Amino acid sequence: MRAPEVSQASAAFEPKIIAFLCNWCTYAGADLAGTSRIQYPTNIRVIRLMCSGSLDSTYVLRALMEGADGVLIGGCHPGDCHYMSGNFKARRRVAVLKSVLKDTGFEPERVWLRWISASEGAYFADTVKELVEHISKLGPNPLQSEWAV
Amino acid sequence: MMMKICDAGKGSLPDRVREFLARLLREKTVQAVLVAKRHPKGKSAAPVLISDPEKLAGADPLAPVQIINAARILVELTKEQPAAAGDKGQAPRIAAVIRPCEIRAAIELIKLKQVQPANLVLVGFDCAGTFDLKRYGEQKTGEEFTLSFLRASADKDREDIRPACRLCTHFTASGADENLCWMGAEDGELLIEPLTEKGQKLLKSLNAKEAERPKGRDEAIKKKRAEREARLSDSPENLMELLEPCLRCYNCREACPICYCKECLLKSEKMGHTPERHLGRAAKKGQIKLPADTVLFHLTKMNHMGTSCVACGLCEQACPMGIPLGRIYSLVGRHAQALFNYVPGRSAADELPVATFREDELPDVEDVKKGSK
Repeated sequence: MRAPEVSQASAAFEPKIIAFLCNWCTYAGADLAGTSRIQYPTNIRVIRLMCSGSLDSTYVLRALMEGADGVLIGGCHPGDCHYMSGNFKARRRVAVLKSVLKDTGFEPERVWLRWISASEGAYFADTVKELVEHISKLGPNPLQSEWAV
Repeated sequence: MMMKICDAGKGSLPDRVREFLARLLREKTVQAVLVAKRHPKGKSAAPVLISDPEKLAGADPLAPVQIINAARILVELTKEQPAAAGDKGQAPRIAAVIRPCEIRAAIELIKLKQVQPANLVLVGFDCAGTFDLKRYGEQKTGEEFTLSFLRASADKDREDIRPACRLCTHFTASGADENLCWMGAEDGELLIEPLTEKGQKLLKSLNAKEAERPKGRDEAIKKKRAEREARLSDSPENLMELLEPCLRCYNCREACPICYCKECLLKSEKMGHTPERHLGRAAKKGQIKLPADTVLFHLTKMNHMGTSCVACGLCEQACPMGIPLGRIYSLVGRHAQALFNYVPGRSAADELPVATFREDELPDVEDVKKGSK
């Protein structure tokens, strides 16, 4: 199921990706991808949240420190949040998180935020493919082998 | 507008500050003042709550040392109590004479509903910086020392003040009710600038006289700001390396005026450290460093309080291992705040960035490559 253009050197590397998906949009989108039998890489492990706005940055950080190579945060498109404004707040929090990671010598590009609605099963599958490719290029998360985190 | 708080030509700067505070107490404008007082032995100064004007002797808010961010004390002093009958709508009862970084922290804590502003007059002053506790104690401290320090710092910062102070660009208390101004004024002259309606009322009640804004003031502030801005660096830090000696004592959190949570997430059961968890992690990675989660702790703290970080650097002074936390946190905070054009402590009217949003903002945060959708 791997994309063919991935180079031989990184072919052995199967990225582990933790996905925090909002119950109302992206999780339903993932579900749709499944029921529509759209194929996508099996590298993601999904954690369902009630809202992307309920995700504290510490859980993203912990995922990265405990061995995830990448993190996907999925929420409703702006304006579509089931709770009115959770995704807008998530966006601010993710902006801060990425800024902090950048300033402290880590890799913000391992954390992705995307708006994926319940009807966008194909887009969800594409997102996973893209992210797996992107992380494959980046290589394993260096924090995995760090004993000091 | 600037006001004169006491007649010119009388006493030194600290004398004039004390005279101002004594008047507030004698005329019962406030019940008590919170102000730093030098310890008789001269090794430090501590915030003191004074209600007897006689006890103002030795009070020296300008003494360049700071063992705590006094905003933390304001939380304790303004805790909401059940109102006594007939006590409603009373005038401010405490005047806090504190540093600009403490004023900024107090304003953040007002927004976080930890400090109750109704009973409080925030009096700030032009701050030239502080020494860390050890360095201050090594010097021949006293009123003369305070004065010569201020005089010398007006031109150029001393090399040995705290690193956070050498990087501080918000050294006048622009968010306070009043600011005691000496920068750019004649030597020994002290003027008071009311910055809010509350501040103005208080000065009126004291019959303070209007005065000219010192001609050199704006220039002096601009020069000091430029001197400090030139020292700011935007290059990333290597947190992993810098945190090597961290022993997870949580001192930085205790010293931080913004970390107000009664139950810290990082000390909660959810994030706790059990033998099983340690062994499980060790089995997975082959080895783990203990105490665990030092990097996670600091990164989480930055995410939680970064947008409100006032860069007082007291985390660094509290660190027993000498980690340059002030530098790291102020860099991270400055960039996080810039995302929202937010200046912590600028005004109680600015909303906390993490509590609000705009629909049309941060276009680059969503990770969509061109043409992918």
